[in-house]
Amino acid sequence: MSIAVAPAVVVERSVPMAAAIELVVSHPTSAATVAPGQFFQVAVSAPHTILRRPYSAAWSDPASGLIGFIFNVVGAGSTWLAALDEGDELDLLGPLGRGFDLEGARPAICVAGGLGVAVFPGVVKALIARDRRVIVLQGARTAAHLLPSSRFQGAEVHVATDDGSAGHLGSAIDLLTPFLQTPEQFPPPFTGEGRGGGFDFFACGPTPMLTALIDAARRLEIPLSTIQVALETPMGCGIGTCLGCAAPRAGGGYFLTCQDGPRVRADRIAWDLMTDGFHG
Amino acid sequence: MAERPDLTVDLGRGLHLCSPVMVASGTFGYGFDAPQVDRAALGAIVSKGTTLRAREGNAPIRIAETPSGMLNAIGLQNPGVDHVAGVYAPKWATWDVPVIVNVAGDSVDEYVSVATRLNGVPGVAGLELNISCPNVESGLQFGVDPQLAAEVTGAVRAVTELPLIVKLTPNVTDIVAIAIAVEDAGADAVSAINTYVGMAIDVRRRRPIISRGSGGLSGPAIKPLALHAVWQVAAEVHIPVIGIGGIMTVADALEFLLAGAAAVQLGTVNYLRPQAAAEIHDGIGSYLVQHGLPDMRALPIRPVSVLTHV
Repeated sequence: MSIAVAPAVVVERSVPMAAAIELVVSHPTSAATVAPGQFFQVAVSAPHTILRRPYSAAWSDPASGLIGFIFNVVGAGSTWLAALDEGDELDLLGPLGRGFDLEGARPAICVAGGLGVAVFPGVVKALIARDRRVIVLQGARTAAHLLPSSRFQGAEVHVATDDGSAGHLGSAIDLLTPFLQTPEQFPPPFTGEGRGGGFDFFACGPTPMLTALIDAARRLEIPLSTIQVALETPMGCGIGTCLGCAAPRAGGGYFLTCQDGPRVRADRIAWDLMTDGFHG
Repeated sequence: MAERPDLTVDLGRGLHLCSPVMVASGTFGYGFDAPQVDRAALGAIVSKGTTLRAREGNAPIRIAETPSGMLNAIGLQNPGVDHVAGVYAPKWATWDVPVIVNVAGDSVDEYVSVATRLNGVPGVAGLELNISCPNVESGLQFGVDPQLAAEVTGAVRAVTELPLIVKLTPNVTDIVAIAIAVEDAGADAVSAINTYVGMAIDVRRRRPIISRGSGGLSGPAIKPLALHAVWQVAAEVHIPVIGIGGIMTVADALEFLLAGAAAVQLGTVNYLRPQAAAEIHDGIGSYLVQHGLPDMRALPIRPVSVLTHV
């Protein structure tokens, strides 16, 4: 494992969607090694804070040495981060954890809820680069809270909003059903192993969205082993020493989100024990 | 003036550290997960609390950040002493840095069994008796009663040749009484302090953030409290005191050393700045040079074990 402790430099700050900030930082060694779904422990200098903040890379570009982070302003740490501007330095520890397993030939369905969409620009780019068919199902509060579809070049994007201001009125999970009820529209290599057996799923979002996805998967006969989720938990160290980021493991006990995740196969998780509140 | 100050520390019974800076139990795992840390700057690594059998730990949520601190209630998740002795210790035996195993248990018998299993195992440089874990049912039981603290210390002392450190809890009326009791029972050193019991509540969800309700508070928030505990204990015992509690900087570490600690342990800061141990080690050396002090023994600002505690 190669872990860098070196400052990145902010090269761009923007507002990619309502209530979110995107920071683009230059850090060539990390940009060359980070895999989609991996995260960095970001040091913040906000008053009275003490822990680094875990942020998944939204995307990375080895050629330019750039990494993007998309986040909500929810507390002292993200408020401090949001106030950074071009030229400011950022102390990154990482890349850390396990990213998504992107290999395979089956169509990929990416399910994103709320800020969970932040991990997907890089995931989608990597899937497209592997010549995979990619469908993005994005849910958000309103049209303004959606990450623009232009961030998912080459993918089919379907959206849902809580207020119906764009796309389907409802959640991203609702968007699954029509796909799975008409599997005949999918060309080979769809094999028809159960109605949902022809896809690989990638999901990130609030715990209630993930548990709703799992409920839907059980209802739609989607094998949980075909679903990878990116988890968010409170995190202390990010490298497996503090044991603070435990999440319930199927069959008993816990795994560590920082080391065994943040990308975890859904059949490895004890969903009935998953706690809402990881976002604090 | 010494150009290259002597930073070695003698904790007794043959436990010599090349640096006064150790990493505290629970903040460094078993030493394998922090590849970016320069182990050469460490006086010792204190392992995660280790019990007789493997433990899964507490249900999440286990940690919460609080102002200048953090709460944790990990619940002694560990692979059990057989795994530690059989798999980890042989690797430690090849390292230059000594590894001290933090020992926890529910009963005197369990402490004794763990200590017995570790006695004579190459790679295990010493034991730190954890009689102060606030996050398991019986964790604090031994640390808050001088008689029980002495009983478990004496029982472990009887079965091990290893240097024996006893880690004290601050969640007591009189920490000095506990320190004297474990000294009399055969401890080679004491480490002070473990975390303070605290809690935080999620106002929106109207429930404690930590699933267990309470957790142990660490970080700079507790540093003045920890420093006073070390100041009190160092005045009353005749064995080395290892200072712990919210050390983030060189100046923080120096405060503990000036208060009478022979060495320090870094905890929460390891999460924020993995390189802190090396920085603090170097900073202590620079301080000795600047002040014309020859070695660590010259640091306490009052003769150890002379003053009554204030």
